[in-house]
Amino acid sequence: MAPPIRSEAPVAALPKKLLDRFAAVVGADNCIFEPEQLVTYECDALPHWRARPGVVVLPKSRDEVVGVVKIAYEAGLPVVPRGSGTGLSGGAMPSAGGVLLGLSRMKRILDIDLDNQWMSVEPGVVNLDISKRLAPHGYYYAPDPSSAQICSIGGNVAENSGGAHCLKYGFTTHHVLGAELVLANGDVIEVGGPVLDTPGYDLRGALVGSEGTLGVVTRVTIRICRMPEATRTLLATFASTREAGNAVSLIIASGVLPAAIEMMDKAAIDAVRAVMGIDWPEVGALILMDVDGTTVEVELTAARAEERCIAAGALSVRQPKDAAERDAMWRGRKSAFTAMGRLSPNYIVQDGVIPRSQIARVLTEIARLAEHYGVQVANVFHAGDGNLHPLVLYDAANTEQAHRAEQCSGEIVRLCVAAGGSITGEHGVGVDKAAYMGEMFTDADLETMHWLRCAFDPLVRFNPGKVFPTPRLCGDLPGKYQAHPAEVAGKIGRG
Amino acid sequence: MNAPVVHQPETLDAARALLEECARGRRRVGFVGGGTALGLGNPGSPLDVLVHTRGLRRIVDYAAEDQVIVAEAGVTLGELQALVGERGQWLGVDAPNPERATLGGLVAVGAFGPRRARYGGMRELLLGITLLRADGVLAKSGSKVVKNVAGFDLPKLMCGALGTLGLIGEVTLRLHPRPEASATVLFAGLDATAVVNVVKASRLAQLEPSSVVALAAEPGRYHLGLRFEGFSAGVERDVGRAIELGSPDQGPARALNAEGAVQFWHRHDQVRTRGTLRVRVAVLPSQLPVLEPSLRPLLAGLSGAGLAWYASLGIGFLSGAPVPGAELLPALQAGRAGVRELGGSLVVEAAPLPLRESFDAWGPEPSAFSVMRELKQRFDPEGRLNPGRFVGGL
Repeated sequence: MAPPIRSEAPVAALPKKLLDRFAAVVGADNCIFEPEQLVTYECDALPHWRARPGVVVLPKSRDEVVGVVKIAYEAGLPVVPRGSGTGLSGGAMPSAGGVLLGLSRMKRILDIDLDNQWMSVEPGVVNLDISKRLAPHGYYYAPDPSSAQICSIGGNVAENSGGAHCLKYGFTTHHVLGAELVLANGDVIEVGGPVLDTPGYDLRGALVGSEGTLGVVTRVTIRICRMPEATRTLLATFASTREAGNAVSLIIASGVLPAAIEMMDKAAIDAVRAVMGIDWPEVGALILMDVDGTTVEVELTAARAEERCIAAGALSVRQPKDAAERDAMWRGRKSAFTAMGRLSPNYIVQDGVIPRSQIARVLTEIARLAEHYGVQVANVFHAGDGNLHPLVLYDAANTEQAHRAEQCSGEIVRLCVAAGGSITGEHGVGVDKAAYMGEMFTDADLETMHWLRCAFDPLVRFNPGKVFPTPRLCGDLPGKYQAHPAEVAGKIGRG
Repeated sequence: MNAPVVHQPETLDAARALLEECARGRRRVGFVGGGTALGLGNPGSPLDVLVHTRGLRRIVDYAAEDQVIVAEAGVTLGELQALVGERGQWLGVDAPNPERATLGGLVAVGAFGPRRARYGGMRELLLGITLLRADGVLAKSGSKVVKNVAGFDLPKLMCGALGTLGLIGEVTLRLHPRPEASATVLFAGLDATAVVNVVKASRLAQLEPSSVVALAAEPGRYHLGLRFEGFSAGVERDVGRAIELGSPDQGPARALNAEGAVQFWHRHDQVRTRGTLRVRVAVLPSQLPVLEPSLRPLLAGLSGAGLAWYASLGIGFLSGAPVPGAELLPALQAGRAGVRELGGSLVVEAAPLPLRESFDAWGPEPSAFSVMRELKQRFDPEGRLNPGRFVGGL
C-alpha cells in the first residue's frame, strides 16, 4: 500500500435527474459533476486518501443546505461536509459517488456583540478573518491552527481544532458557544447559543470534534476574547531536545502557564533555515514561547521562564526586538511543515499526544525508531500540551522506503498511546487514523461513542467510514460484555 | 411505594456489577454523590435502587508534573484540593460545599464556581471519563492528556446530564498551578447598570480577574467583587488599577483586607447553598438591568433573600426561604418568562416539594430536544437511570 494512495473504486455517475435536482437548489454554477472538475475535490490536505464524489454542491445559505441534504436523504446518498479542505486526517475525503457539501461560500459574519463577547458566523468564514475583523476593537478569536489563514470555522468545529496558543486559552470546544445544525433528514436544530448553559444535554460539546458525522453546521456562535495587555515572546536554543524537553517541564512546574510553547528539533530547524531564510542558529532544538497577560504578570512570567530555560541548559535565550522580528519567529514555526515539504518529496505527519513530562523520553524513542526503520523524522510540535508532530520523511518513488516510513509512523502512534497519551491531538481521526482507534479504545468504548452518532444520524449518512475503525450501523444491539484491558490489568487509569 | 434499596459499592467493578444486576432486574436506579444537589431538576419517578458513590474514593493516578489527576467519582472536591494543594496545584473549580460535593456529582451537575471566569467549570477541565452504562458495561472516553480529539467527546456530554446517561465511575481532570497571591476589590452599592459598566471598564482596561461576582440582598444595590490572582506583584498592580475604575460616577472602590475578602466570598457561598428555594438564571452579561424587574417578585417572596450575579458570564443564583403566604409560583413563572424573553433560561436548583411538582425545573423543551430524547434512548433505552429528573422528563 505504499506509496499509500488509497483510492476508493470509482462508482457510476449519478443520474442526470438527481443532479438537476441539486442544481435546482444551489444553481447550476454551484453544482459540479463533470469528472475532470470532481478531481479537485477527491481529497483534503491528506492527498494520499482519495475518493471521487458523485457531485459537489456549494450552497450559499442554510436553506440551500437543507434542500441539498433532503435530496440526498431521499436518494440514500452519503453526505460529506467540507470547509476549506485543509484537514490532515482525510476527514473531508468524499464518499465515493456521494455528495460533497462544500461550505466555503457561506462566509458571512452575522453578528458581533463585543459587550457580551460573542459573535456568530457562517461556517465558511476563514479562521484568521475573524480575528482580523475584531482587531480594530481589541478583541480576537483564540484558537489559532497553523492553517488559520485558510481553514474555515466550520472545519474547526468539526475537528475541534487546536493551535499553538491553545495551551492557555483552550481549544475550539472551549470557544464555541453554540451552533445551528442541519440533521440528515433536513431538520434544523440549535445547540447552545450566546447565553451560557442552555438546559439539556451538552450537544454543543458533543458536536465540536465530531468530524462532520452528526450534521452540517450552518452557523457558529463563538466566544471572542479581549486582547491581553502584553505579550512577550522568547526563543531559547538548546543542544538537544532532551534539554529543551526538560526546560518545558521546569517552566510549567514553576507555575507559569505560557500562552504557547512550541518546540522544533534540528531537522525542523534546518529546514526552516534553508527554505524560509530565517536566521536561527544551528542548534539541536529550540523552544518558541509566548507569555501574555497583564504587563506586570508578563514581566514576571517571562523572567521566570527565561530562568528555567537557562537552568535546563539553554545555549541562548532571545526576545525579539520588535513586532516584525516576533512575526518572523512565529512565521518560522508555522511554516515548518511547508519547509519540510520542500526538502523532502513526501512526508507523513503524525499528531499523537503524550504527557508533557515524557517529551524528552519519547523523542529519544522516536529517534531510535527512525534509525531502526532507516528514515528521517523531523519534530515540530506543541510542547506545552505534549502534542507531537513527527514528520516522517520519505520519497514516494522509493516504494520500499515509503513502506518503512509508514511502519515507523505507526510505531510512533503506538508509542504515544503506550505513554498514556492519544493518537491525535488536533488533526482528528478522519479516515487516516481510524485504524488506530482500537489502540486507545475498546469495542465498548467505541460502541458508546457510536450511540451518540446514532442519536443524531441513525442512518449514518454523514461522513460514513470516518472516525470508527469498522463501519457500524445504528440498529446494532450491544455486544456481550468484555472486560476493558485496563480493567484486566488491574489499573483503570487512562480516563 | 417502597424506599429504594441503598448500595455503596467500594470498587468500580462492584459498581459495574451492581448496574448489571439492576439491568437484569430492570430496576430504576438513582445516583448520589455528596447529596449537595439533590434538589436540582424535577422530583423524578420512584427508584428501586440508590447507588451512593462515596465508596469510590481512590485516587487512581496523580501526575503532578503533567497537572492531571485521575480519581474515582466519590472523592470529594475538598479531598482532591487538599491532595493537589500539597503540590501547589488546584482544580480551578470552586463549587460550593467542597467538603461534601463529590467529583462525580460535580460532573453530573456541570458544576462551577466564581473562578469559572478564568478556568471554566467541570466541563472545561474534565479530560476523560469512565462511564458505567445502564447495561453494566464500562466505557471510557477522552484521555489523560490535556489535548485529545480521538473519538467523540463523551466527557462533555456527561457534564450536566444529571446521571441520566450512566454512572460516572472515574474522572480525569486538568489541574492548574495555585496562584501565589489573591486579592479582592469591592465596588459597593452599585446599581445594575453600574455593575455592567464596571465589568466592561475592567475588560477594556485589559484586567483579567479570576472571579467577577456581584452580591445583592435586594435588586438595585449590588456589591461587586473582582478577585485578582497570580504573582504577588501582578496582583498588587491589578488591584491598584481596578480601584481606579471606581471613580467618579461608578461609586468608590476599595481593596478588601484578607478577612474582608474571606467574608465576601463566604457570603457568595451562602447565597449558593442556603435557603430552601434556589434558582439559577442565565442571560447575556449586559442584560442585568433588563433582567432585574423579572426577578423582583421572586426575591420579594423570600426571606434571607440573596442574589449572586456572575457578572462576566451572565449567570445569577437566587436563594432564600419562602415567606409564608408568598405567591412563589407566579413569581417563578414571571422570572422564567422574563429570562426567556432575553433568550436565557431559569433552572430550579432546590424548592419545596409542592413548588417542584407544579413548576418544571428546566422550562420548555429546547430546540434540540428530539436529539436529546434519542440520546437517552440509546444510552438508557428503558429509562431506568435517574428517571424523570432531567429536561423534558428524561
